[in-house]
Amino acid sequence: MKEDLRAILEEIRPDVDFDNETELIDGGVLESMDIVAIVGEIKEAFDVTIGIEQLTPENFNSEDAILELIEQLMEEE
Amino acid sequence: MSNTIKNVLEWLEQTAKRLPNKTAFDDGNEQICFEDVRDKAQKISAGLHRILKDVNLPIAVLSGRNVNTPIAFLGVVYAGCFYAPLDATAPTGRLKIILKNLHPAALVVSDEFQDLAAELLEDDSVQTVSLEELMQSDVTDEDLAYFRSVREAMQPEDPLYVIHTSGSSGVPKGVLTGHASLINYIDAYTKVMGITQVDILGNQSPLDYIAAIRDIYIPLKTGASTYIIPKKDFTAPALLFADMTEKKVTSIGWSVNALTIPANMGVFEKGRPEYLNKICFSGSVMPCKVLRIWQENLPDAKYVNQYGPTEATASCTYYEIPGIVSDDDILPIGKPYDNYEVFLLNEDLNLTKDGEIGEICVGGPVLSLGYINAPELTAKSFIKDPRGGDGIVYKTGDLGSMAADGNLLFHGRKDRQIKHLGHRVELGEIEEAAKRVDGINECVSLYKEESEQIYLFYTGSATTKEIAVALRKTLPGFMVPRKFILLEQMPELANGKVDMQSLKSML
Repeated sequence: MKEDLRAILEEIRPDVDFDNETELIDGGVLESMDIVAIVGEIKEAFDVTIGIEQLTPENFNSEDAILELIEQLMEEE
Repeated sequence: MSNTIKNVLEWLEQTAKRLPNKTAFDDGNEQICFEDVRDKAQKISAGLHRILKDVNLPIAVLSGRNVNTPIAFLGVVYAGCFYAPLDATAPTGRLKIILKNLHPAALVVSDEFQDLAAELLEDDSVQTVSLEELMQSDVTDEDLAYFRSVREAMQPEDPLYVIHTSGSSGVPKGVLTGHASLINYIDAYTKVMGITQVDILGNQSPLDYIAAIRDIYIPLKTGASTYIIPKKDFTAPALLFADMTEKKVTSIGWSVNALTIPANMGVFEKGRPEYLNKICFSGSVMPCKVLRIWQENLPDAKYVNQYGPTEATASCTYYEIPGIVSDDDILPIGKPYDNYEVFLLNEDLNLTKDGEIGEICVGGPVLSLGYINAPELTAKSFIKDPRGGDGIVYKTGDLGSMAADGNLLFHGRKDRQIKHLGHRVELGEIEEAAKRVDGINECVSLYKEESEQIYLFYTGSATTKEIAVALRKTLPGFMVPRKFILLEQMPELANGKVDMQSLKSML
């Protein structure tokens, strides 16, 4: 699953160091269009819907945080 | 409303006297009242005055998304100079090109960007001054007398700011604008929107971008306040509306894109900005589906579609939406603001016949002064009024037609400029940057409007990652293509030119 997510992130932002970046939102690394694209791709790849209340900096600041969010959503469904 | 001033500082001084302790700007961390805006701007100016030899010089400003940035701009104005805001998030390669063309007399830098400034000016002689240190300067009686004499000598057309926008040759164009044009636009916009001192504006635009002039100058004129909304509220918008409600934001002038994202992501499901009642949007064509979501959630608000280029001082026409729209409505861009003259010319520079499509042209005492240090570019777009007289007219490159009811309709571009995420982007500028990337032989950039994605078709050996990383060194993030398509060879027409239609079919 981590590999699938990495593929999604790198397709949208090949320039970002997802291994080490922990301030994707707070540091202004990702732009709003990136988030729109990432949320859409995650829905397609993992069949989970990210709701508006989950669109917080905490959930998107790092690849691990995004992964945790997806896992949590998959458990709920 | 009708008492015309000749310098924006008159607004600041009148309001600082009338409402000294009212908040002018709030960035979430710090609030600053009108009196303090004035006093701090004067300190900056006193410090600048000690190092500058003259007035009417360009001063570059590199500072963050916070209350000090508008104060820095106003400090430059007190010193009788004009400011050129730089986007600190832009790649250094781009900032260097801008500085080289601008030749600023000084660079005002906030402490957080000192390292960036050092990198930008390593091989240059531009003097760097710390914004924080300038704000500690003493203001003497002599300084105050100097500010007065500078003010008395200035003309209403004297330049106020330079704002940079994409240029197809690869060099961003610096649009130079005078006090009189800015004052006219702010007066007209404030009247149309009905903004008064009870309003709180929600700023979305980056402070170096043209749309921010509303959020900076409307408070000075009216006594309203501006809340500079943190950028992360837009990237991860779960808290955007709650934040706006907490700050009691009543009026916004946002890019279409900034309104589209929260609407499409379902932010209204969790609440709405309760106090918001004036909404203006511009930058690209508003999809009616999105507008309807806003209208249904905030039915009592006023909605205004605004159109115009930076060269015509932010905007030139507006259209107040009369009722709830349907998905297939076409929104007019409307009628000219006060003192703007807007008309359509055909290829021969004659006025078009009723209903015909022509190039949208703007005249009146509302235009910018042209592109700084680029007389040839200026002469190409700012021409002598072909209808007669000695006025100057700006050719926008946009196509329009006049509806029977006198409202202007928008029909896209004459050239390869696009509107992407509220920004003007020349596809040619992306191609120029891509051609300089190692491993790219040929390339063509195209825009897919439905998905709002910039594509780059290319031949060569470079990988997607290599291109994206290289482009980010010279282009701002929003201009970097998100789709890269490697081709064996570029499709060609019989005459050897690239077959654009064939590429478009691959989008």
